[in-house]
Amino acid sequence: MFSAMIKKELLLVLRDKHALMALFVMPAIFILIMSVAMRDQFSVKNIEFTLFVKDLDNSAMSKELLSSIKDDATFHLTQTQKSADFMLEIPKEYEKESNATLHLFIQSSLKENEIKAFESIFSEYIYKVRFGAITEAIEPFAPDVAKQLSEFEFSVDKLYDVEYNNSKLLPNSTQQSVPAWIVFGMFFIIIPMSTIYVNERKQNTLARLNSMNISVFSMTLSKSIPYFLINQVQVWIMIAVGIFLVPLLDTPALEINGSIFAILEIAVGLSLTAIGISTLIAVSASSSEQATTIGGISNILLGAIGGVMVPKFIMPESMQKLAELSPMSWGLDGFLDIFLTSADSSAVFEDFAKLATFGLVSLTLSMILLHFRIKKRL
Amino acid sequence: MLKVKNLTKRYGKKVALNNLSLEIKKGSVFGLLGVNGAGKTTLLSILNGLMDFDEGEVSIDGVSLKDEKRKVKSFSSIIPQHLAFYENLSVEENLEFFASIQKATKEDYEKAIEVNYLGELLKQKASTLSGGQKRRLNIAIGLLNNPKIIYFDEPTVGVDPKSRNEILDSIKEYKKLGITVVYTSHYMSEIERICDEVAIVSDGRVIEQDTLENLLSNKVSDKVMVESVFNEKLSTLGLKLLDETTVETTQKKLFEVLKLLEKNEIALKQIRYGSTNLEKHFLEITGESSV
Repeated sequence: MFSAMIKKELLLVLRDKHALMALFVMPAIFILIMSVAMRDQFSVKNIEFTLFVKDLDNSAMSKELLSSIKDDATFHLTQTQKSADFMLEIPKEYEKESNATLHLFIQSSLKENEIKAFESIFSEYIYKVRFGAITEAIEPFAPDVAKQLSEFEFSVDKLYDVEYNNSKLLPNSTQQSVPAWIVFGMFFIIIPMSTIYVNERKQNTLARLNSMNISVFSMTLSKSIPYFLINQVQVWIMIAVGIFLVPLLDTPALEINGSIFAILEIAVGLSLTAIGISTLIAVSASSSEQATTIGGISNILLGAIGGVMVPKFIMPESMQKLAELSPMSWGLDGFLDIFLTSADSSAVFEDFAKLATFGLVSLTLSMILLHFRIKKRL
Repeated sequence: MLKVKNLTKRYGKKVALNNLSLEIKKGSVFGLLGVNGAGKTTLLSILNGLMDFDEGEVSIDGVSLKDEKRKVKSFSSIIPQHLAFYENLSVEENLEFFASIQKATKEDYEKAIEVNYLGELLKQKASTLSGGQKRRLNIAIGLLNNPKIIYFDEPTVGVDPKSRNEILDSIKEYKKLGITVVYTSHYMSEIERICDEVAIVSDGRVIEQDTLENLLSNKVSDKVMVESVFNEKLSTLGLKLLDETTVETTQKKLFEVLKLLEKNEIALKQIRYGSTNLEKHFLEITGESSV
């Protein structure tokens, strides 16, 4: 009996081409597009500043300064001021006046952090040439001190011994896009589920099944299992897209650092929530149009709040707190932990527990509502 | 077969069934008549175990509905007014699905196909069937559990005359199989044609229950009803038709009508003398202007 109900539901979904597009093609396309589109924003690449230098001093010091930045790939010297983000004017008497200030002209479109980075890196060279001049001046009187000063390293990299803390790793564009659109795609089971559910209820097929001694619990469970299976297939297909298709577009492939069992755990929790919400909407709606509209809008809202459309780590703190209310965010956090760190099943258990509880509560409410709706009409 | 005693059902303050009592004999085709809102649908929902009732007793084939609802459901079947199957599945897939969940035997499965003339349509997608074929599939599903009693809730709504005749003929077959049929319809001629006994429901109560013969023979007149086998020619002969198979005439003109039917090779089913039609009787007793 149960297998027949599952088979029926699977046949109905698999014959619905629009539903299959929404469940499999749409998230795969989103993964490809968004991974490529956000590639540069997420990548940690070498910083490069375009710089135009106007040397009014034309001294040995100014020439040394120019010569040293020419050798640094961070700076790309331009021939015209127009094409540069930064314009540096070395004033007359710069070498002679030790407190002379360099004039820096900056494109107003630049961000504060880019300006600070430029100032920080360029300052290394200023200190170096000024220190060089001082060293040279004192060498005849105190050669030992001059030797010590000449051995001093001005590079910021040499000043700090940097060690990374992996608790707040940032994803690359693929690691962000794959879980985000997996989560989003899983919630799109609302479309086939609500269409079939509403038609069954409207045409009294559910009432007929009920008159054949099929309980509301059996109906709900037999509908949930096929969508659960579809959700699991979705997860692995989207992961495969991230691993095998995304690199074809010159974008980093999806790397999974955590445990496969943890992926299964989050996929199960997410599926329970997606099925719970979808069933609740399908049972509450009075037409399939209403169900797909409500379902679509709620998916987009949950996705926008939950970090699917905009990554959570670039949201302001208040929005990040709001994101915690979206079940999509719980699933996304779980997947990101697995993809970025070596998270195992126990590490993502909290996310799983929240998702599973939410899903089971929604399913229970759906069953109560469906029971009353069947009883109300023949 | 079916005994209903003082059945009461309330929706809040509204009384849908008010001390309704009814008795249906085993193997009969029983017509349930009533205007919209009379309580027919509520009664059918209760008899099928889809709805609970507040007071009264219902027993079907000696089994109490209140105490053994699951058992009653296992030998009852409802043919809903709506087409309660899956349009995106084939006829065969639909039948197999409903057969499987009811644990139907192969014999019952094949009988449901045969009685409803679905053998040629098994591979066809349900959405591509004609209106009449869909109705037959809807009925076939109801036969899969080899029911002792079947409830038909207006099964011929929106069906063409030919398919309607096939459906009505198939219902007569169920009587031969010993199945009790409870039939509701807005078409009085259908009730007249297939039912042995009729109950008229009004305001949640049965206001009259009798055999069809008794109900109609009380209304003696000069009129004669001639019922024929369905034939498209009948509507072209200029006769007064009550429906697509029943001609209304007078005793004086009867011989002439019979000759005309014979000439056009239209086979007779029955002739009813001295009776008026059920619709007139229904309107008189309920005081309604329409059904």
